[in-house]
Amino acid sequence: MDVEVDGILVAAHELKAPLAVLRQLAFSFDEMDARGEHIRSEMINVSERAIRQVNDLAKIRRLEDGLFEMEPVAVRAVCDDVSHELKKLFNSNARDLTISYTNRSRLVVANRELLFSVVYNFLLNAMHYSNEGSSASLTVKDKKDKVRISIRDYGPALPMEIWREMREGWINKPVAMAMRSSSSGLGLYIASKFSRYMHAEVGAIRHRDGTSFFVELPVSRQASLFL
Amino acid sequence: MSVFVIDDDKIMAGCIARAVGEDVLIFSNAIEAMNKIGEGVVPELIFLDVLLDGPDGFTFLNELASYTDTARIPVVLVSSLDFSGQDLSSYGVVGMLDKSKMKPEDIKRYVKEYAG
Repeated sequence: MDVEVDGILVAAHELKAPLAVLRQLAFSFDEMDARGEHIRSEMINVSERAIRQVNDLAKIRRLEDGLFEMEPVAVRAVCDDVSHELKKLFNSNARDLTISYTNRSRLVVANRELLFSVVYNFLLNAMHYSNEGSSASLTVKDKKDKVRISIRDYGPALPMEIWREMREGWINKPVAMAMRSSSSGLGLYIASKFSRYMHAEVGAIRHRDGTSFFVELPVSRQASLFL
Repeated sequence: MSVFVIDDDKIMAGCIARAVGEDVLIFSNAIEAMNKIGEGVVPELIFLDVLLDGPDGFTFLNELASYTDTARIPVVLVSSLDFSGQDLSSYGVVGMLDKSKMKPEDIKRYVKEYAG
């Protein structure tokens, strides 16, 4: 079977879980009137995550057509937008998200839409793999003529086979993770695909108490209005 | 006596628990549930997800079957996986629910029959 088709089939399986949850939440409306607003909010969050993954999968097909232009992108603004979108999800899952920016270079060469998805998927992965009550961190720092975005989680160590693939620069297909059998590694696959398109460097660092994923993008030479 | 819901998806676990009603305990993994049983809290009925963080649902079923005080606890598998046509009664499984198809009434029916 074609790797792409294989990946989409795995994705379909992964999408089944949040959609099933959404369906169950909808049933709850009749039973929990007083908590209706809370349930409605959960429904929206779960469905939006599912829709985002479906959209990302569609983008993978569009990568081949070169439809995503590379441009100067304000890296902190992208990270702010992603963390703002996921902060509530982190909190509702008893995880915290800390953010640290030390980069002086504000603009990188990237596609904003794809970079958003890369950071989003790395952060979502960090939330899944962080232990309850722990904190994932998002850091942005300069590294010579590049900017490195790192997402660190505090949970089980990254499986060796995924670490090897990340060391070689990208993940070729979704890889099921042994310590979380319901995950197909779809987020890492999407992040890897998008990073490769942007000629960004991606990688993973194994820690004794978790994993850091990073993406490095070249600094844009265009003058930033934000300096 | 109580009903256990074991599912690593907290939202799904909450949905099942709401359908169960009162006296329900939620666990995100099999180890927590087994530890609770070890403290003497033996449930009347268990709703069990199969794909879990850590030991999976079948490991948990084997663990239950290995102790005399837990071997007869009725278990309902709740999963997105298709187990149709498989006889899992030797594991203490009294029913199977497909997460993408089940309704609160299906859960209530098992509660009424085994923990009513």
